[in-house]
Amino acid sequence: METKIAYYRNKISMTQEELAERAGVTRQTIISLEQNRYNPSLYLAYKITKVLQQKNIEDVFILK
Amino acid sequence: MIKKYEWFARRKYTGWGFTPATWQGWVYVIVAILPFVALMSFAPINQARMILIAIWAIIVGVDFIDIVIHLPKDERDRLHEAIAERNALWVIIVVLAVGVGYQAASGATLGIFKVDPVILVAIFAGLIAKIISNIYLDKKD
Repeated sequence: METKIAYYRNKISMTQEELAERAGVTRQTIISLEQNRYNPSLYLAYKITKVLQQKNIEDVFILK
Repeated sequence: MIKKYEWFARRKYTGWGFTPATWQGWVYVIVAILPFVALMSFAPINQARMILIAIWAIIVGVDFIDIVIHLPKDERDRLHEAIAERNALWVIIVVLAVGVGYQAASGATLGIFKVDPVILVAIFAGLIAKIISNIYLDKKD
């Protein structure tokens, strides 16, 4: 799984801490996701997509 | 007791349970331990002191278990914890099984059955816990 979390997060000037807090996870999890080291649950993927103000989950999470 | 679960974090590298993650967490732990120190230092050695220590131990024990249950964890933390606990459990089972084997073998040389029942009970209790967990999880989702 590849993610564009960092791209969309920077686009809306959001820090990793802010995203983590709003998505209900730790900053470490956001770091792991941004580095494509962790595959999130569908629930978390949707939540992050929503926090990043994106409509489609596929725009943020790309299945490789 | 008055506390916030965010004051604590899962103990990862030094055993089980929790560790204070903030200064409030450390204050909380120190305040929780203070009555015991006070009782041991100042209270006269009698039955009342023993009862007070027992009450303190129950309150603190329940409270600490409450903290461990409610530690803030996201899905990644839960996954990591589950894998780490599983690995720890397998090591424990292997060591216990080797212990049972050793005790049975050394008993057999003497012509007797000599296995520590506590080890057998521990393995059996673990088996029961696993069965119950799987039944619960299968019904849940």
